[in-house]
Amino acid sequence: MDMECDLLVIGGGMAGLVAGTLAAEAGLSTILLRKGQSATAYSSGAIDIIGYLPDASEPFSTPEEGLAAIAGLYPLHPYSIIGYVDGIKPEDVVDEIVGRTRDTITWLKEKLKDTIAPLSGDFKSNIFPITILGTTKPTCLVQKTMYSEDLQTREDSVLLFTGFSGNADFNPSVAAKTYLEDRIAIGEPPRKVGHCTLRVSPFGKPYNVSSVEIARHLDHERSIEDLATQLKPQVEQLGATHVAVPPVLGIKTAMDNKKKLEDQIGAEVFEMLGFPPSVPGLRLQLALEEMYRTNGGKMLVGHEATSYIKTEGRITKVSAKAPRREMNIEAKAFILSTGKYIGGGLSGDENGIRETVFGLMTVTDAYHSAGEIIPSRYTNRIAISPEGHPINSCGLTLDPHFRPINEDGVEWASNLYSAGAVLAGYDYSIEKSGLGVAAVSGFSAAKHAIDFIKEVA
Amino acid sequence: MNEDEAFEYVKNTLRKEKITPYHSHELEVVKSVERCINCGLCISHCPVVAAVGVDRFSGPRSIAVELSRSPPEFWSTADVVYLCTGCGTCREVCPKNVDIPEVVNLIRARIFEHRPDLVPKSLHVLREVLTEYYLAFEPWEDKEEKNESRDMRLERLGLPFVQDKILDKAEVLLYPGCQAEERAQEVREAAKVILDHFDVDYTLLDDMSCCGLPSRLMGDHETERVLAKQLKEKVKKLGIKTVVTTCAGCTSSLSDISYRNEWGVPAVHILEFLAEEIGLEKIDSATKGSTEFSDVHVTVHDPCHLIRHTSRQITDFALDILRQLPGVKVTESEANDSCCGGGGLVSYHSDDVAKAVVKENMEAIQKTSADRLVTPCPLCTAQIESNLFKTGSSVEVDDLTVFIAQRLPKKR
Repeated sequence: MDMECDLLVIGGGMAGLVAGTLAAEAGLSTILLRKGQSATAYSSGAIDIIGYLPDASEPFSTPEEGLAAIAGLYPLHPYSIIGYVDGIKPEDVVDEIVGRTRDTITWLKEKLKDTIAPLSGDFKSNIFPITILGTTKPTCLVQKTMYSEDLQTREDSVLLFTGFSGNADFNPSVAAKTYLEDRIAIGEPPRKVGHCTLRVSPFGKPYNVSSVEIARHLDHERSIEDLATQLKPQVEQLGATHVAVPPVLGIKTAMDNKKKLEDQIGAEVFEMLGFPPSVPGLRLQLALEEMYRTNGGKMLVGHEATSYIKTEGRITKVSAKAPRREMNIEAKAFILSTGKYIGGGLSGDENGIRETVFGLMTVTDAYHSAGEIIPSRYTNRIAISPEGHPINSCGLTLDPHFRPINEDGVEWASNLYSAGAVLAGYDYSIEKSGLGVAAVSGFSAAKHAIDFIKEVA
Repeated sequence: MNEDEAFEYVKNTLRKEKITPYHSHELEVVKSVERCINCGLCISHCPVVAAVGVDRFSGPRSIAVELSRSPPEFWSTADVVYLCTGCGTCREVCPKNVDIPEVVNLIRARIFEHRPDLVPKSLHVLREVLTEYYLAFEPWEDKEEKNESRDMRLERLGLPFVQDKILDKAEVLLYPGCQAEERAQEVREAAKVILDHFDVDYTLLDDMSCCGLPSRLMGDHETERVLAKQLKEKVKKLGIKTVVTTCAGCTSSLSDISYRNEWGVPAVHILEFLAEEIGLEKIDSATKGSTEFSDVHVTVHDPCHLIRHTSRQITDFALDILRQLPGVKVTESEANDSCCGGGGLVSYHSDDVAKAVVKENMEAIQKTSADRLVTPCPLCTAQIESNLFKTGSSVEVDDLTVFIAQRLPKKR
């Protein structure tokens, strides 16, 4: 069976869904292929733009500061590529990058406003939400349910960490201890922290309860009221002004639940950032899919891009495989946003690192060929360190139009664009830039693809 | 003992050790487990976990990373693997597409072979029916009564009766599947009405036999092979070009065996046949004049075996056809693609689990405020209809094939 469209997006995480939405919004017929869920669904749900420079110990206080540093130090970073505009003056490069990033963030916030994952935070500054370990991390946007306006600025704030018995994902006493030690060390509020454990029994038993079960349970009527009744005396006993809960406030009704809880206990409630796969990651994925669909995009879930036809420097067709059917999709332009190792856009074995759909050239963090890099030799001895792992910076390298290039430095195909984690030149885990790069590169790739399609048509 | 002798010796101990080596066609499934990164995304989406919790059904990840590990110990997983409805949601959301539904079948097959005492009793009963009649349901004893039941259904639904066509040679084989053959006869009849209306050169089997999906799901490879072989011989003899079925389970199962056993002909759902072979324009002009029906507000349920085991595109065919039927308004349900609980033979032995799974669909269907639910699968139809009825809902349920056939003008 055959189909036709203007733009075919391969990959359904943040980059692909942003790109697809932008194209559909511009009136292009857009199809998105997704073989499985992505690292976006797997994430904590916080949208980082840029938190750290590699190897640095101090986080950036604003994304703008971070983007300027990246543009100066890493000219081939996906953010830096935005600045390569024809005829641009050197002094305008950073403004261009900052402007595009701000546009993306503003656009995304607006688009997600009425979904189950509306965002809080602002391009003007980084925020430092608390994780379920009791640490903080720099990010730019979090979901409204995860945001606290004044916990870390209000002098008299008192924080209560609240866990659930039988839920192994979060230990409130350890988190409280870690967080308080950290606050004392830097001498900032809150100066008083407590912890407690509540009982929820989604299936009648208060043990072996997973986070998503609690979230789904709280989606049901009246369960949040029960939680409030348990929480209220704990809040009063400690005199808490704020309550930190693990990210389980609901899948569809998290916003309502937050409000209801706050009304009944008289303190501000927010979700912490959790381990993957977290409920806010699930909410974000669902919200992005809804955004794409309501703008008119068509999604082919469970379809994997398996082969392509390229003639005269252009891709004309991609074949997609469902469990028991195959189809050919013709398009004027294509966006590759298949992710890295989790999403499956890149795969590494003893023969090297490959791009899995088109077999595009892969490069290392130093922009040498990664085609013969043995993955196990491209990792750091220490699992978690500020240097990260070089293998995370491998991927595709782009021309200024966001098209992957080959060994000669020219685009591999005139109508293939790329975005998201499949790109080389950044390590999201140490920079804290994952969903930011995905959104901004998806936005940029789509802009170039839209221009291309409109010119050709 | 030389190397060959040692190999033979070990091979001969396998039976005693309760190990069945993997067949070559199972190896791909086994290898897919190696790709699991233990991320747990599947748990967030599994409808059985959502319905009964991880404490009762430990979920797809547990099947992939724990339960699939040690062949001699497969029996110890019996309390969990029989609760999987085989909906395929886990495989579809998995970033690595680990084939968990097939892992379940593979484990069930090992339990069936080595510890049949742990296979739920009702599945043994089903197996007896399958081996005796080559059908998933005991056939009607009295042919007359079967025809009476069919006529009552046709009358209630306002469908004309088209004589059975059983030819020696034809272009298309209409394969209704066990449910439509023995229970939901209206679906089989509706398919005949549609094919007849569009002058398709089709035939039915003179002796309908099961595609083998139920045997596969309970792990009874032997019966599965016998059924598949029978069907292949019948198909080959007819010299047909396409198999058309009205059942979602049969669509995926027939697609599978026609590929694996080299039938050389595709097997498609009647929706695919309508959209791709007949064409939407022809359906449009055929249904345009039908004014017999008052306006109806419908919502659609997408069967797992069509969308997750075959292709999501088939849903779009269903919607395309529905949207051009006169007087039909479609509202999509929030849980349109959520498993109805009727799969994986779960309802045979753990009806409470099947009922808990379908609850999500019930609530979402009510929310659409549609008067009718349509779904292109007689099994989903039965599962959803009986559960809606028990909750006292006024929403009616129709198989989509019936719904379309009703809206074709009466011929002759």
